[in-house]
Amino acid sequence: MKRQTAPLAPHIQIYRPQLTSVLSFSHRVTGVLLSAGSILLVAWLVAAAAGPHSFSGAREIVHSPGGSFMLLLWTFSLFFHLCNGIRHLIWDAGLGFNLRTIYLSGWTVIGSSVALTGLAWLVSHILAR
Amino acid sequence: MPPRGIRSMLSLIVGRDEESGSRRVRRVPVIVSTSNQQPRVTVLKRFPLPRDLGVSAESRIEPGRTWPAPAGAGRVKAFEIYRYDPDSGRNPRLDRFEIDLDQCGPMVLDALIKIKNEVDSTLTFRRSCREGICGSCAMNIDGTNWLACTRLIAESTQPSTIYPLNNLRVLKDLVVDLSHLFAQYSSIEPWIKPKSAAPEKERLQSVEDRGRLDGAYECILCFCCTAGCPSHWWNADRFLGPAVLLQAYRWLSDSRDESPGERLDQLEDPYKLYRCHTILNCTRTCPKGLNPGRAIAAIKKLLIQRTM
Repeated sequence: MKRQTAPLAPHIQIYRPQLTSVLSFSHRVTGVLLSAGSILLVAWLVAAAAGPHSFSGAREIVHSPGGSFMLLLWTFSLFFHLCNGIRHLIWDAGLGFNLRTIYLSGWTVIGSSVALTGLAWLVSHILAR
Repeated sequence: MPPRGIRSMLSLIVGRDEESGSRRVRRVPVIVSTSNQQPRVTVLKRFPLPRDLGVSAESRIEPGRTWPAPAGAGRVKAFEIYRYDPDSGRNPRLDRFEIDLDQCGPMVLDALIKIKNEVDSTLTFRRSCREGICGSCAMNIDGTNWLACTRLIAESTQPSTIYPLNNLRVLKDLVVDLSHLFAQYSSIEPWIKPKSAAPEKERLQSVEDRGRLDGAYECILCFCCTAGCPSHWWNADRFLGPAVLLQAYRWLSDSRDESPGERLDQLEDPYKLYRCHTILNCTRTCPKGLNPGRAIAAIKKLLIQRTM
């Protein structure tokens, strides 16, 4: 029996994750998370406008372990998307395409987005006192 | 020379040469400088996705058979190789070949030829020049695309996994159907398109003008980059892919070509050119050390510049 269609060679199923592709996928994923997070931000603002009772409910959700984790994820997404977005702007200017520069800027994005997330949380904890 | 402790910490970032058998192999975990460098640390060998996610029924890979090393083999190396026989009516499978490295040449292509000569003569793959200039033996080796003839066995993982070039229809084993990619290549009209009258002799070029083609003319059309480009995986029908766009830039840069405007008109398309999202897997994988990512950015710049 002869087969009708030839198989398609595997791609994402077997291709090695590299800094190049991992950061690109992460940029897309953090962009989606930020869009979802902006809806929650609006919900929080609506709760604040609706009065002290609904605001304290929203506050409880934000301060719960699950809420804090989502806030942390959202903060990281914000800084990662910002830093990697600047990296993309530099590329759009036609700069930074040496492979070594691509890797240096990629690791710089990871380092600075982790550092900025930490800084934002540190500052917010100091201000909350 | 910095002290030993600092040196070993530096080597974690910029990598170091390692002895592997009689050969020196450059392994780099963090900062990759050239596309031939292999990672030393593997966090994930593949993306953590189900193996059959979005894979059509005829493309699912089944377990294959094992061909054990001969008795008394010295250094045994295993290769897991994608197999597909169009006449069998069966799905593709992954066969395991164990070979004796003491009886084998140094390159992955040597191992494939040894398997075909001595173990299973039905193993099918393209090869010709065995020195990285014809581009025939491009395949996915240990998860990234490279030429089998210029990849050292010493640089490969144990077991080493070998698949055909990604996202292309498989004709047999490691031989894929490249017709679509060559059709995309011919769509950019890869030849000089003059407007002026033909000169008496050849069209001359200054040394500087000729220099503008450096980094583009060396492409051997092995399609390692296009097959490794996620944007091309999702939009292979309409996105031209890095190899073809690098060639589009090569003809835009040629001082003898007199139709750059028409070429740019053809490229100004949300799919043909702008599906490139600067992932840069192309630059990471090019076995000739070229930079398709930079060439695509240069085309985008030309398109913006002509509107200003």
